[in-house]
Amino acid sequence: MDLLFDSVRSALLLFMSFDAELVDIVMVSLKVSFSATLIASVLGIPGGFLVAYAVFPGKRMVLTVLNTLLALPTVVIGLLVYSFISRRGILGSFDLLYTQKAMVIGQVILIVPVIMTLTIAAISRIDKRYRLTALTLGATRYQMALVILKEARYGIFAAVIAAFGRVIAEVGISMMLGGNAKGFTRTMTTAMALEYDKGEFVLSVALGITLMTIAFVINMLFHLLQGRTGNDAL
Amino acid sequence: MLYSLENLTRKHGDRTVLHIDKLDIEPEQIYTLIGPNGAGKTSLLQILAFLDQPSSGRMHFLDKEVSFDQKQLYALRRQVVLLDQTPIMFTGSVRQNVEFGLQVRKVARTERRQRIEEALELVGMERFADYDAQGLSGGETKRVALARALVLQPEVLLCDEPTANVDNENQEIILKIIDKINQEHKASVIFSTHYLAQGQRLAHQTLLLQNGELADVASENIYRVTVVERREDTLVCQLTGQLFLTLPHHILPDAVQTAKLQIDPNGVILNPKTTNPAEGNLLSGHITDLAQDSGRIRVVINVGVRLVLVLPMTQYRQEKPGIGEKMQIFIPHSSMYCRRINLTR
Repeated sequence: MDLLFDSVRSALLLFMSFDAELVDIVMVSLKVSFSATLIASVLGIPGGFLVAYAVFPGKRMVLTVLNTLLALPTVVIGLLVYSFISRRGILGSFDLLYTQKAMVIGQVILIVPVIMTLTIAAISRIDKRYRLTALTLGATRYQMALVILKEARYGIFAAVIAAFGRVIAEVGISMMLGGNAKGFTRTMTTAMALEYDKGEFVLSVALGITLMTIAFVINMLFHLLQGRTGNDAL
Repeated sequence: MLYSLENLTRKHGDRTVLHIDKLDIEPEQIYTLIGPNGAGKTSLLQILAFLDQPSSGRMHFLDKEVSFDQKQLYALRRQVVLLDQTPIMFTGSVRQNVEFGLQVRKVARTERRQRIEEALELVGMERFADYDAQGLSGGETKRVALARALVLQPEVLLCDEPTANVDNENQEIILKIIDKINQEHKASVIFSTHYLAQGQRLAHQTLLLQNGELADVASENIYRVTVVERREDTLVCQLTGQLFLTLPHHILPDAVQTAKLQIDPNGVILNPKTTNPAEGNLLSGHITDLAQDSGRIRVVINVGVRLVLVLPMTQYRQEKPGIGEKMQIFIPHSSMYCRRINLTR
């Protein structure tokens, strides 16, 4: 219990002192995770919509592959991206390895399937009458898609939040592609791993508490947004 | 012709849900589509609304063949609107819902505002313009959905059971609006209903769908009859069992021995005060069912066969017939129609 109390006290002290290193780490984490979530949303939401609505041969296979990709280990993504962006890789000339961009690429690969599958699930739950109503009122396919996305927005927000939670908490990609360089690619999770290796459990747990606090605040904001815009929000 | 359908089928897997040999629908008319659940009414309406594609067959709209390619469909859908049986409201206010179709058509803001007000006024929902559309009752939702359709001034309004699941007051309002837009705006209306009397009251023409096929336009009270005696002015016909009815002589040619007899439920008189045997048939039987149908009472009476008659509410309140009660009915010759049975079918 002492470890926990010490960690909470340390976390509070770190917060209150605006420790420059902690702020740096948090900012890198947020910047990388937000960027990855934004890019993955731009790719995953329309992608999920297309898969949900399009009728094509092999659709079941696509859904199975997407579901399988949910279980893709971060280390596998790290290795895959590494093989492309390392000096000897096809994209080696872009000097991406051990940069935040490399971390973003890896994290996008990690969460695109998350956003796509949860978007498909959210859209599949939407009443088919929305589609038919939009079409009979003269909407084009694009306008109909906007109607569906609007009606499925809570499910899609939830997909984005889940994806953000996945990337801000992952360590494998950040470590392998970012390299845990202080001030550049050190995130909360890689810093925690480092502090743990050094035997600095208190700081490690303090960082963990910080991460959980950020995740909690983001979820609170999401629920507040739901409460303000939808009566059906829990 | 407004619509012309030839050899049109719609299949779901191996099951044929619609098979129409030939159907012509004239413009500026009200058609009612009658049939039991699963008869194919919704499937037909969705094809007529260009929301679904037939599996085979040809369809013409305003004398042009419908090819069902996307570009053509957008243009066609902007002339036809389908009102769903249980309409769904988009997230937003009533006004935003009614505005949707105008927005996608890029109608100017000032014109939009005016048309929305007119449409909401037409359905009596102008007070609800700023209400949350998803918080309305079933009847109010139907009226807003009607406004959402009518604001587009469609050439054809298709309604899937517009009066289902709404109270009497809303039913009457909806039926009056349908009649009004046909009378004043010359819009063609095709609506499906379970209520025969309701359909016949409003419609110029009636279509009967059974098992996905168009059946002879008919109503309830259809019986197969055999002519057993020909008198000077009347025919004596035998229905199923021991029931005999007299029919006016002129309704069947001499050579015909079997026919389909149809009795208009609105023409049958319950508990007649005076009757003239030369003008109809006086029968008695037990009431087996009573039901309300658009402000009227539908009475089922067993007179040897199951016979339906429709009473105005005022008469029902006076007579107060009860289930199991024995009552007399008079079937005037004027409410009896005969069709020769086509032996080739």
